[in-house]
Amino acid sequence: MKESKITKYYPLIPVCATYLALFIIGESVPGMWQLVAMLAFYCAIGQAFNIFLGMTGYVDFGYVAFMGVGAYGMALSVERLHMVEGIGMGVVFLGLLLAVVLATLLSLAVGAVALRLRGAYFAIATIGVNEGFRYLIEGAKLWGGSEGIVFYGQLAKALGSETASQVSTFWADVFVFLIAFMAACITIVYMRSKIGYALTALREDEDAAKVMGINVTKYKIIAFITSASVAGLIGAAGWALKLTNVFPPQVFEIHYTVECIIIVLLGGAGTLLGPPVGALVYGLAKYWLSVIIPGFQLFIFAPIILVVIVVFPEGIMGLVKKRWRGTGLGKFIE
Amino acid sequence: MLKLNDVTKRFGGLIAVNRVSLEIKRGEFVGIVGPNGSGKTTLFNVISGVYYPDGGKVLFEDRDISFFPPYKRAPLGIGRTFQIPRPFGSATVRENVAVGAMFGTMRDKVGVDESMVIADEVIERVGLQEHRNKPAGTLTPVEKKLTEIARALAMKPKLLLMDEAMAGMHPNDIDQMVSLVKTLAKEQNIAVVAMVEHIMRAVVGMAEKVIVLHQGAKIVDAPTQKALRDPKVIEVYLGHPLER
Repeated sequence: MKESKITKYYPLIPVCATYLALFIIGESVPGMWQLVAMLAFYCAIGQAFNIFLGMTGYVDFGYVAFMGVGAYGMALSVERLHMVEGIGMGVVFLGLLLAVVLATLLSLAVGAVALRLRGAYFAIATIGVNEGFRYLIEGAKLWGGSEGIVFYGQLAKALGSETASQVSTFWADVFVFLIAFMAACITIVYMRSKIGYALTALREDEDAAKVMGINVTKYKIIAFITSASVAGLIGAAGWALKLTNVFPPQVFEIHYTVECIIIVLLGGAGTLLGPPVGALVYGLAKYWLSVIIPGFQLFIFAPIILVVIVVFPEGIMGLVKKRWRGTGLGKFIE
Repeated sequence: MLKLNDVTKRFGGLIAVNRVSLEIKRGEFVGIVGPNGSGKTTLFNVISGVYYPDGGKVLFEDRDISFFPPYKRAPLGIGRTFQIPRPFGSATVRENVAVGAMFGTMRDKVGVDESMVIADEVIERVGLQEHRNKPAGTLTPVEKKLTEIARALAMKPKLLLMDEAMAGMHPNDIDQMVSLVKTLAKEQNIAVVAMVEHIMRAVVGMAEKVIVLHQGAKIVDAPTQKALRDPKVIEVYLGHPLER
């Protein structure tokens, strides 16, 4: 019954195909790129958030703060380093690196305090993180304070104005695609390793997991930091680099955390294909609703979420996975 | 192998375990008996690390583990099952049992694939092969109990703590499970400490030694037949004999 090395990773195929299809549609159909970029962004945040929410069962309401500091990482890198001789695209990659570093540091700080709490208490403790960080930046006049950082000029200086606009209108979205795919790869590697089993165990019963020899704190922190650093990358590429500006009220907005939760729950928490499926359903529905009845999309989403939680708490892919378990298609679904 | 020296555990003013000393040897089968509230579960929790003792020491293979967290005790060889089975519900039986192998005494030697192999072996031994790929949450209570026992055995423990393992089961199932656990433990030289509240049948069936707790203190520690005839035990369970 030993699974071979490669079949274990078959569930990546549908995920990869989804991203590829999205990318091709965006590239070839005129006028679709913005919609596709939005969907890719939702896929990426869903996939990143799933590493923590899906695998541990903990809900982090302050999650958007990691994306926020990631966006600041990119902005700071471009703002401070653009004049370095011959830096070129290096400034963007340093920005991504700084985003990961900042998100990791913040997640360590938050995790060290909040991960001692369980369940609802953890969720409550994290609610304030994004607001707190926003007011810290605004109040302490840190990193430009409430005026934020606008860095298109600096980016243009480092890259040349033509490349700069290419980077912000096209490559930033491509980065988001790559980050989403990377998050999917990390997810399946975790799932197939001891980390995944430890996380499943602690999600189901933390005390029993401890007695089975699982250092639950260690594994929770691994999932938390991984998820946060991917969020940092998304903030850096999907927000800062794309918009070439960062404003505190815009990046520390709890609304995005809620969208993450909706996407993950709708698609199927703890599944690999769930976040992209949830992201597509949510993203397209939101887009469509904003066209036919503008302003009502959130009003309609609340009952949808209620229905999901009551009728199929495992999410779309959770249901599919259950149905297809043991069939030929089962090995492509996780 | 396992030694408790004067272990005490208090909850506020209540002394749940009062200066209990005992010794469990390799491969021994010991029953811990006592009425409701006599401190059995607390004692188990002190041994497995859910609580730390307020006084005294817990020694395992001559090492003081009194303040080791539970996840450090499991790799030393202390496995446990719960009073109400607590399998990881969404995971399959096979995955449940494999978790035991992955994080038990073999943790540094086995990867995920080897753990699955160990899990399959243990599942076969306890007779759950038909349910191997079912989520553990969908099993019947008896199957859940077997899954828990399999999970603990996959840890390759030296000591297995069974918390009220037989409560609420049909006598036929009890007999089967008792003989199964006994055979498996003997084969692998695992010491078993089984906690029993009511079902003396299970104790008589398997334990070589019985330790009786009453109001947190150990009152009897003797071979099974002798212990069950001890006047103190009868008094604890049935009250004082009538004065004439």
